[in-house]
Amino acid sequence: MAENKLNDGMYVIGGLFIAIAAMMFLSPISLMEDDWVTLPLIGLPILGSLLLMGFSSAVPAWRKESISETIKYASLGISLIVLTITSLMMTDILMNVHWANITFNQYMYEVEYNWIESIGAEWHVGIDGLSMPMVWLTALLVPVTIITTWNEKKPWYYHPLLVLMGGCLIGVFVALDFFMFYVFWELTLVPMFFLILNWGGKERKYAAQKFFIYTFSASILMLLGIIILYLLQDPSTANSSITGRSFDMHEMIKNAQQEVILGNIWLGAGTQKLLFVLFMVGFLVKLPVVPFHTWLPDAHVQAPTGGSMLLAGVMLKMGGYGMFRIPISMFPHAVVEFQMLLMIIGMISLFYGAWVCLGQTNLKRMVAYSSVSHMGIILLGIASLQPLGFAGAIFMMFAHGLISPMLFGVAGAFKHHYHTLEIGSMRGMAKHSPWLGGNMMFSWMASLGLPLLAGFVAEVAVLVALWFEFGWWVIIPGITLAITAAYYLWSMQRTIFEGGENTQPPESLGDEKPKDIYLTEKVGLMALAILIVIFGIFPFIFFEMMSGYSSELIESVLLDEISGRWG
Amino acid sequence: MAYDAVSVEGIKYLLPELVLVSGILTLFIITNLGDAKIRLPLTRLRIPALLGGNRFKWNSDPRLPGVISVFTFILAIAMLIQTLGGDTCNDLVEKFCAETTILTTTGNNPVDLLKLDSFSRLFELMFFLALLLVSAASINRLQADSNPSNDDLDQLLDNRRQVDFHLLLLISGLGMTIVAMSMNLFVLFVGLELASLPIYVMVAFHKESKAGTEAGVKYFITGAISSAIGLYGMSLLYLWSGSLQLSVLEATWAAMATPETLPLFGISLLLVGFGFKISAVPFHFVAPDAYSGASSPVAALLATASKTLGFIGLMRILMIITLPETGDAAVWMLAFGILSVVTMTWGNLAALGSENPKRMLAYSSVAHAGYMMAALVAVAAWKNGSFVENNSGGVMAVELIIGAIIFHLFVLISFKIGAFMVISHLETEDEVTDMSSLHGLAKREPIIATSMFVFMLALAGVPPLAGFMSKFLMVTGIVQVASADVLTNTEIDLIPTFLGMHWTFFLAISIFINSAISLYYYLRIGVLMFFEESTTRLPLPKVSILRFVILLCALATIFLGINSDWLVESAIEAASTLFTNS
Repeated sequence: MAENKLNDGMYVIGGLFIAIAAMMFLSPISLMEDDWVTLPLIGLPILGSLLLMGFSSAVPAWRKESISETIKYASLGISLIVLTITSLMMTDILMNVHWANITFNQYMYEVEYNWIESIGAEWHVGIDGLSMPMVWLTALLVPVTIITTWNEKKPWYYHPLLVLMGGCLIGVFVALDFFMFYVFWELTLVPMFFLILNWGGKERKYAAQKFFIYTFSASILMLLGIIILYLLQDPSTANSSITGRSFDMHEMIKNAQQEVILGNIWLGAGTQKLLFVLFMVGFLVKLPVVPFHTWLPDAHVQAPTGGSMLLAGVMLKMGGYGMFRIPISMFPHAVVEFQMLLMIIGMISLFYGAWVCLGQTNLKRMVAYSSVSHMGIILLGIASLQPLGFAGAIFMMFAHGLISPMLFGVAGAFKHHYHTLEIGSMRGMAKHSPWLGGNMMFSWMASLGLPLLAGFVAEVAVLVALWFEFGWWVIIPGITLAITAAYYLWSMQRTIFEGGENTQPPESLGDEKPKDIYLTEKVGLMALAILIVIFGIFPFIFFEMMSGYSSELIESVLLDEISGRWG
Repeated sequence: MAYDAVSVEGIKYLLPELVLVSGILTLFIITNLGDAKIRLPLTRLRIPALLGGNRFKWNSDPRLPGVISVFTFILAIAMLIQTLGGDTCNDLVEKFCAETTILTTTGNNPVDLLKLDSFSRLFELMFFLALLLVSAASINRLQADSNPSNDDLDQLLDNRRQVDFHLLLLISGLGMTIVAMSMNLFVLFVGLELASLPIYVMVAFHKESKAGTEAGVKYFITGAISSAIGLYGMSLLYLWSGSLQLSVLEATWAAMATPETLPLFGISLLLVGFGFKISAVPFHFVAPDAYSGASSPVAALLATASKTLGFIGLMRILMIITLPETGDAAVWMLAFGILSVVTMTWGNLAALGSENPKRMLAYSSVAHAGYMMAALVAVAAWKNGSFVENNSGGVMAVELIIGAIIFHLFVLISFKIGAFMVISHLETEDEVTDMSSLHGLAKREPIIATSMFVFMLALAGVPPLAGFMSKFLMVTGIVQVASADVLTNTEIDLIPTFLGMHWTFFLAISIFINSAISLYYYLRIGVLMFFEESTTRLPLPKVSILRFVILLCALATIFLGINSDWLVESAIEAASTLFTNS
């Protein structure tokens, strides 16, 4: 029987090699000198993790334990290679790039290959001031997640899945071709589906299906938008394609920009609005905002710690990233038209998320709703249509990408060591598990926006921009931030401190003695904590390139529309 | 070029068909070698030849007929590729194409019989591939005797059932290629029946299952009735135009000033016949019974090749006859549009509730028929409408849509057959009647389960798998038709833009909604395989050829999604030859 299994795995590995070889042969993707994206950032994690999983399935069940360490270290190795490359990119060492000075719609590390030539789909990747933070965040979170959840069950599939997830996410952030963008957008669902289904909580079956169907349905609307946008291209531009059209985002943004310079509305007002609505529905569900948020609490509560970390850390940011990359860059007229609507949705989302948090007793559910609330801040930053607001929104995506994985990492550790997620079930954690209590307190402080931590910078930037744009409306977010502080402090009091010396550990622990977190969890969480502090004190590391991107975006696309509105 | 069909020049274009005929003869002769009594296929009747004695050991091997038919299909594909190429298309790596050749009857006033062009050749390739996979998967499958308790060694070594089964497959393949090439309603009908009759028998071949015979009888009766209705429609068309040639019918239709009752009635009756083949509502009722009663490879054949037959008929008849370049409307458009929406919705809703994986796949097949019908409606709307042709340099919307249908029918071979093969593999263990056979498959057979999940995602249309590409092309075509008038108008606002869409836009919307609905039951299969616990942890019985076919299908599903360039080009080339008359 063992041999039989081994044969299967050999089939897979052989098949993969043949498939890769065939693809190389049919559409030659040669690693050119400057192509630091295709193979190192996307190909390596995806193909590498598939190979690892194929290898694991080849090993018979009774020997799987013996390879688990190898697989873990291999996954960690792959993700660290990706992190190294992106860090070199970010710090201008790999190529001399000044991320803050890139003009709008100009991309670094840009490469184009023919992909499906007949319909004009290309493999077109590039990185600018908007995608660089996201790519780096993804590359960072994958190894951090792997380390934090080092002891997860069935590591021979779990850790490669995390790496696969990271590869797909980077694919979304670097894609400059609508077809490629959509392919990676949907591809991210598959590893997350398996992460929830196989390593999740009790209701994981329901949560995994709901997550997949909900977000897939929403992105179908986005697909409709892509198709309409595709059909609206001038059918004589792409000669190699038999439809005469292409999916090139770079080209479309350029067209939109040129029309703005000429004082026209690209594609016409009605079409812009239609496309804006179609794209925004896809992105708002992913973000998510009220009323499209219902998949998020279920997915988060049921997902394993690692799944939640990547889901909250990066997957939600796909929505925000997509908004900047597509609707805001391409449909300036519609953005200005729908500004109030975006603001109202953002306000509702922000307030409702925080309000619901007050009533939650489940730790993960509370953190999930706080994510909804923070995503409202991103939408508010966008609705302000100010450079500062945009930069604040992008920084919020980044900061939340550091904070929320920490929140979920802490919640996962709590669940792991105390077998419960009830907030009130535990008193005086600081006494029993000082490391866990300390990390929990730190992450909650970061999430409620304590000054000198990363979240504060973003919130202040967005609030200032809101004040400029909407005046006293800024009171609502102000109140909400107070509510945020309230629910975190209240939970903190109930969980970490209250009770003092003679508290009893929760009933769910039974006869066990309360333990503190493992070394791996400490390493992962502390890495995030240090980064949160660093980016809180020195936000300009990324804030500079973000505000560079934002002011370029506003100046080159939106300014005419915004000023035209006032007469 | 037109040749006499029975002349030397003409016959060389039919090499793949000749290979099939010789395969049939070989199968018949080889398995009777050495026997003093030659058995007539499909019967117990034995004719004394008065020569020899008993059969040899090697030609009573149960696997021999399967091997012969597999080699026949491989040879046929080789011959098919050999007939391709020519002056206008010499680069087969770029796309699949063939010179157009017409084969006619002998005589002074020749009648077109068969047309060999990129369209028919591509469909031939599809049929051969589907039949090749099915015959390969059936090599190990059939027991010598339908009653497994019979352990008589002679019975076990007898390959009577296998000979019959593979003979039927080969004959059916011959009929299918004739349908793909036919230029004449008479030839079309002969081919259709030649392809269908063996399929009726093959559905009933699954005697191990209690439902097998019942399924066969049901399928046969409904199929025969719908064929008869279609034949009646053809006779009405003949009565009306005096000819059965598609080109003559097309010309007569174009010359018709106002729609006349007789041809309309004839066409609608014809549609009944083809509607049954593609299992469109309301002719779909027998499909789930037939699929679940038949053995899985045969069900795979029903879902791919048999459905393709129906779509060839629809394309030839609806697209050629009733949609001339000039002339009056396609009257069937609205009715067909409504039917397509009903078909896809019904299929998906019924699949949601079905507890038998084979029935679920049958209903999903109904839903896919609905998608393709919607695409046909969009073609009619484009040809019928007075749209501004905004196609400087681009391919026509109609060719894109027809190409998408051809693409879809092609890639169905990879993932639909693959899905049925997984079930076939499960059937090597025990009969599959409900979802519990799939429980915990991932723990028992990780590779097979992953392949099954790939097939399910492809059926649901998740990128980057092959099923996504076809749905994407279809919807792109439909939206192009629907939005042609509106989107170029830059003056109007959001609501008028939306309301100004042609009504075919709602076909695209309904395809989207249905994709979202269908995702539930496709994902459910994945959940069952990866989540639920099974009663056993033992792997399935080892059937190498079946495993090989499943992995091949899975790789093809992924590959045709990621690198679909060649197939898209080929399908659109085939679609454009459908519309060119020569």
